[in-house]
Amino acid sequence: MSTQPIDTSIYTTITAAIRTEASRLFTAGEIVAIVGYAAARRKGAAQPIIITDAAAAETLVFTESCVNNLAVYLTKAKKEIPKNGKIGIIVKGCDLKALVGLMGESQLKREDLYLIGIPCAGVLASTAQPATELTTETIASKCCECDAHLPLGCDFVPSIAFPPGPQLESRYSAEIARLEALTPAERWAYWKEQFAKCIKCYACRQVCPFCFCEQCLCDRNKPQMVDTTPRPAGNTAWHIVRAMHLAGRCAGCAECERVCPMDIPLNLLNRKMAKELKELFDYEAGFEVNDTGPLTMFTEKDDQSFIK
Amino acid sequence: MDNTIKHDFEPKIIAFVCTWCTYAGADLAGTSRMQYPANVRVLKFPCTGRIDPVFILKAFQQGADGVLVSGCHPGDCHYIAGNFHARRRFAAFRKLLEFIGVDLNRLQFSWVSAAEGGKWVEVVTDLTEKVRTMGPMVEFKELALEEQWSGAIDTPELREAYDAI
Amino acid sequence: MQKYISEQNLNTLIDTLIAAGTRVVAPRMSAGIPLYEPLDSSAEMATDLLPRRSAKEAFFPVCEEIMSYEKEGQQIKLTDVDPARFPETVLVGVRPCDAAAIPVLDAVFSWDYKDEFFLERRRKTTVIGLACTTSDDACFCTAVGLSPVESRGSDLFLTPLEGGGYACETWSEKGEALITSNSALFSDLNGAAPMPLAAPQVDKIELNKVKAWLDEHFEDPLWDGIAVRCVGCGACAFVCPACHCFDIVDEGTEKAGKRRKSWDACGFWKFTHHASGHNPRDLQPKRYRNRIMHKFKYYDDKFGQTLCTGCGRCVRICPVGIDIAQIIEDISRKD
Repeated sequence: MSTQPIDTSIYTTITAAIRTEASRLFTAGEIVAIVGYAAARRKGAAQPIIITDAAAAETLVFTESCVNNLAVYLTKAKKEIPKNGKIGIIVKGCDLKALVGLMGESQLKREDLYLIGIPCAGVLASTAQPATELTTETIASKCCECDAHLPLGCDFVPSIAFPPGPQLESRYSAEIARLEALTPAERWAYWKEQFAKCIKCYACRQVCPFCFCEQCLCDRNKPQMVDTTPRPAGNTAWHIVRAMHLAGRCAGCAECERVCPMDIPLNLLNRKMAKELKELFDYEAGFEVNDTGPLTMFTEKDDQSFIK
Repeated sequence: MDNTIKHDFEPKIIAFVCTWCTYAGADLAGTSRMQYPANVRVLKFPCTGRIDPVFILKAFQQGADGVLVSGCHPGDCHYIAGNFHARRRFAAFRKLLEFIGVDLNRLQFSWVSAAEGGKWVEVVTDLTEKVRTMGPMVEFKELALEEQWSGAIDTPELREAYDAI
Repeated sequence: MQKYISEQNLNTLIDTLIAAGTRVVAPRMSAGIPLYEPLDSSAEMATDLLPRRSAKEAFFPVCEEIMSYEKEGQQIKLTDVDPARFPETVLVGVRPCDAAAIPVLDAVFSWDYKDEFFLERRRKTTVIGLACTTSDDACFCTAVGLSPVESRGSDLFLTPLEGGGYACETWSEKGEALITSNSALFSDLNGAAPMPLAAPQVDKIELNKVKAWLDEHFEDPLWDGIAVRCVGCGACAFVCPACHCFDIVDEGTEKAGKRRKSWDACGFWKFTHHASGHNPRDLQPKRYRNRIMHKFKYYDDKFGQTLCTGCGRCVRICPVGIDIAQIIEDISRKD
């Protein structure tokens, strides 16, 4: 497939719309803060920002570099954000799924949030420089399989006519299928090489909206279930535990994979688990607020063909 | 009387069992003087619902060649639904391990009630013999000896330990 | 000493060293990313790529064993790791920003406690630096007083020449020894001009002004402003060529195990978490403040050096786009 550009002209209109809305919200006193994106020093780059007054509304932007899932700032893991009133948050469809999950897990209340939804044509892959044009090559893998370009159930969504986009290859599905076709020994060799790179910086954990535990199992040393040192053994255990703890909760914002400084394809594990849970229990995370997930509930008729 | 057969490889099997059913079943096998392989090391838990997947991982990391998880039959759980939750969790965990490249023949789940001493013997014997033919679980043991390149000291002692797996 | 070496001869030098049992570490592709790693042959070297992790791990590994223990009955046997076993190493293609960090690390690892692991590796390693001909907008070596031809930390420094090959300058006895023992591969300079060097698009930052401000502003609203977005991972410290904090843990069972030293980062909540449960750096701004303070004030106070060489790695990989170059520039403009 040849590389085709993706039309991001709507982002200019969206930026203007969220600035106006942000300004209105502060002026009307409806919210105390907005978690959004602002431009950064590097050309084309954007970074998360938390603004608390109408004057700062002009700093808000939305571009193809607005990759972060800002939901992480609303979890109890982030104690620095003021939580003394209603908070506005800029969400793409994928980010919204995380908020939906957090509401289901009683971490957030819908009435405490003002959701500013972004009609999103896609964001840049972590491998692309921030100033790169968005194309079928440079787009993030998660965007290729996106089913939430238009976030639903938000308080405000800029009204935009979506330009038709090019057909995108499903990279995760293809890669999962490739790995599934290998022998266990080949898969083990693949993951061993990937996990060997891990330096235990825990960026994958720190950006994950669902890693909000006050103390991570992997930070505990009595008992020490997972070795803390960045060696192949402890790394493998860590990534298995991480994938298991996110199974049935992760809705695929792919932040873990984006932030990994060693480029470990972490979202493959999450997508694989999501696929299996869909097949086993017909469950998909992120679409509606459920107070139980696939691994916190059961039916008496669940498959037990693997049990003697 | 020693009627055991000598094998070249004696696998280490770790069994995580619930105290109410499978542990009692294993106990029954013992008091009934049934024979089963001594390869199995039993760890008793209140319920299969208490058996965290990380325990299985830890067992493999510490040198287990095979792992058995066993508890009450569906509907018989002392805590009503612990084994139903466990069933889902392990269904998911198996898929993850498989994707990472662990051979699932080394991991067995079973329901063994307090009255099923015979089934306990059968499950344990089957798993032990299956793992015996598969040979040692080298993957996790190799991993435990590996370092990041910068920390590696490739000494003869380390090489010897590696070859000994 | 100034000499010329062709690309082909540099490869021959590397292959000769490898054949002689020397460990040659250079940028190479490893599971999809460039890293400084030991080479099996010169063909694997990829000097045009800036490795994702810095060269510090050649002296200060990601994780290393420092001792092992075995217990039998009441007998406990402790075995030290003997640094004499570390291999002779040649580091090739080290970027000026990575090489310049080595003397910075020397200062701390040979200060009140002599770290024999670091120092022994350092003693056994010859560093061959390589001038940069490309840069991106995260590079800021020139802002912190270094440059793409900075030779600090290199025993031997290569500058690519027009028409191929490298000008090769020695900066230490180790570098001279390497040339002397392989003199057939080197020739006199042919007068070719050096390739155009990288020119990071940043202004020089007055680090003394940064320090002067930091001296007075331990408490300042600036910290909350910058670090409110920090998510508290250790990525910046781990890719940094100069960060050197480490943790020591015992891993194993009650029968046998190892004591290991591995990288740690001040961004982690656990870094200053006391056994009592108290955490003096309880919120991320306090942890981020420590990062800036250590780099531009504390290290300067103690060793007269800055703990940043402008490699830009932390800028590139920060999950939330925190830009240390921007921060110190902003600070330098404050009164």
